[in-house]
Amino acid sequence: MIKHIIARLGVLAVVLFGVSLLTFFYTSLSPVDAAQALAVRRYTRPTEEQVTQVRQELGLDQPLIKQYTGWLTKAVKGDFGNSYNTGKPIIDELSASMRPTLKLAAMALLFTALLSIPPGVLSAARKGGFADKSIYLFGIVCMSVPNYWIGFMLMLALAVNIPLFSIMGAENWKDFVLPALAIAIPTAAANIRVFRSSLLDGYNSDFVMYARARGISERKIAGMVSRYALPPLVTLLGQSFGFTIAGSAMIEFVFSIPGVGSMLVTALSSRDTVTINACVLVIAVIFVAVNFLAEIVNTLLDPKAHSKERAYDT
Amino acid sequence: MIHKILRKPQAILGLLMMLTVFAVMLFAPALAPNDPEKINIMQKFAEPSEQYPLGTDDMGRCIASRLIYGARVSMSIALPTIAAIAVISVLLATVCAYAGGIVDKLFVIISDIFMALPPFLVAMTLVGLFESKALSIVISIAAAMWVWNAQVVRTYVIREKQKPYIITCRMSGCSELRIIIKHIIPNIFPHLLVLYSTGLSGVIIMISGFAFLGLGLETGTAEWGAMLVNANKLVFSHPELIVYPGLCILFAAAGFNLFGEALRDICDPKEG
Repeated sequence: MIKHIIARLGVLAVVLFGVSLLTFFYTSLSPVDAAQALAVRRYTRPTEEQVTQVRQELGLDQPLIKQYTGWLTKAVKGDFGNSYNTGKPIIDELSASMRPTLKLAAMALLFTALLSIPPGVLSAARKGGFADKSIYLFGIVCMSVPNYWIGFMLMLALAVNIPLFSIMGAENWKDFVLPALAIAIPTAAANIRVFRSSLLDGYNSDFVMYARARGISERKIAGMVSRYALPPLVTLLGQSFGFTIAGSAMIEFVFSIPGVGSMLVTALSSRDTVTINACVLVIAVIFVAVNFLAEIVNTLLDPKAHSKERAYDT
Repeated sequence: MIHKILRKPQAILGLLMMLTVFAVMLFAPALAPNDPEKINIMQKFAEPSEQYPLGTDDMGRCIASRLIYGARVSMSIALPTIAAIAVISVLLATVCAYAGGIVDKLFVIISDIFMALPPFLVAMTLVGLFESKALSIVISIAAAMWVWNAQVVRTYVIREKQKPYIITCRMSGCSELRIIIKHIIPNIFPHLLVLYSTGLSGVIIMISGFAFLGLGLETGTAEWGAMLVNANKLVFSHPELIVYPGLCILFAAAGFNLFGEALRDICDPKEG
């Protein structure tokens, strides 16, 4: 198994390298000229010379390959340069804004797990029954609404009409309950279906028939089947953690959380390409790392299945 | 197939909801009581009346008309997007599955790299970097989503390709191109319909998200997500203005999801 993990680490390195390349070239692809944007901010109406000067200062006059290697060698050490917008080191702002986002994502992950497992078990156990059908319908409704709107609805219900929570702020854990719930509801709705079908798969397999023949209690069988059905769910949960961070901008906007999503949106609207690169790279690295972690958990859960389980295969 | 769809109530419900959205999109000018863009500061937050069935917003614009035109804006971006994704993913997947060998391996590696970036992040970054145009949203979402769809289609094609009837076709002298066009694509078509129908609802939600963040569309566009931009300020005073656009997104997205999921149950009866 250790050999397997080492092999996967090798693939991971290749993927991460590709990610850094993609991140860098996505921003270079855009028609936006960062030097022009900064020159406009600095001199309001810049002359050609001033733009060229800014371009040299930022190193944007060099060939793309050279820019990329320079950026990557620094980024590996955690130095993303200074923001074009504020002039301060990006890493400081990034680590400050990462904290609330990670807290939010962790809580959302917890809620997602809590909201996907019991309904999934219930609808698999009562297949075709009333509970199954209502969970199915409710799930489709929850899948069809944007999480930021759920955020607003939760805010209206539990912060405005019944003032249990505050409508903004990111100080203590309680402030993260509503935003995390808003993220968890649509994600869990999608997970329930996958978990249900892998549970049903488990119930239909031979080992359950054998266990029943031996007279093992249904409760124990449910435990066995859950273990069998867990790996796809672990993959999905790992993926949803990364998706939460990537899509946190809207929820952060609703609940005024100063996280990495809002940092990225600000950077996007001011064409601050170095900050954009830094945010995208860090989020992508977290996404890849968490997916890798989920894979390892799955290997531990079921050492036999070395094949790569993927959410879109189910 | 059509027979089975017509016997499933949720499929019919989904289909009706889809048709409603298409109808609203096509006949928006006839349905809307007012001009959705017309600003009338004198009529700020007007109560629902005969002229303004749902009242007006913070700029005095007719909410009902903006919601109706919202269907047009959303769908006119979402449909080309999903069409672009469909063309790219089907083409790539069939090429890979048929070329096999090194081409296919290369595709798997490249798609692993592309899939290491969360699609929403890629789309948001690209939308934010391009100019504010509908076309840039289409390109950005397609650039972010193609790989996820191509992967799924590739498994469908490979699975179908291994079936015995394809070998029979080949033995009876069909050309590979003919097999792909006449046999493989029609046979995986229901699966593709599931994929793109549920995908469309995801795209609708994504577009509304960008509009909500103020990325990609001109400010003041009558789009459902864009109508929520000022929602933070309205939470206490006019909560109904937050509720309406969300319900529209729910209606549109749920239609495609219901239809897609019902179709999935028909395609794979085992799971249902």
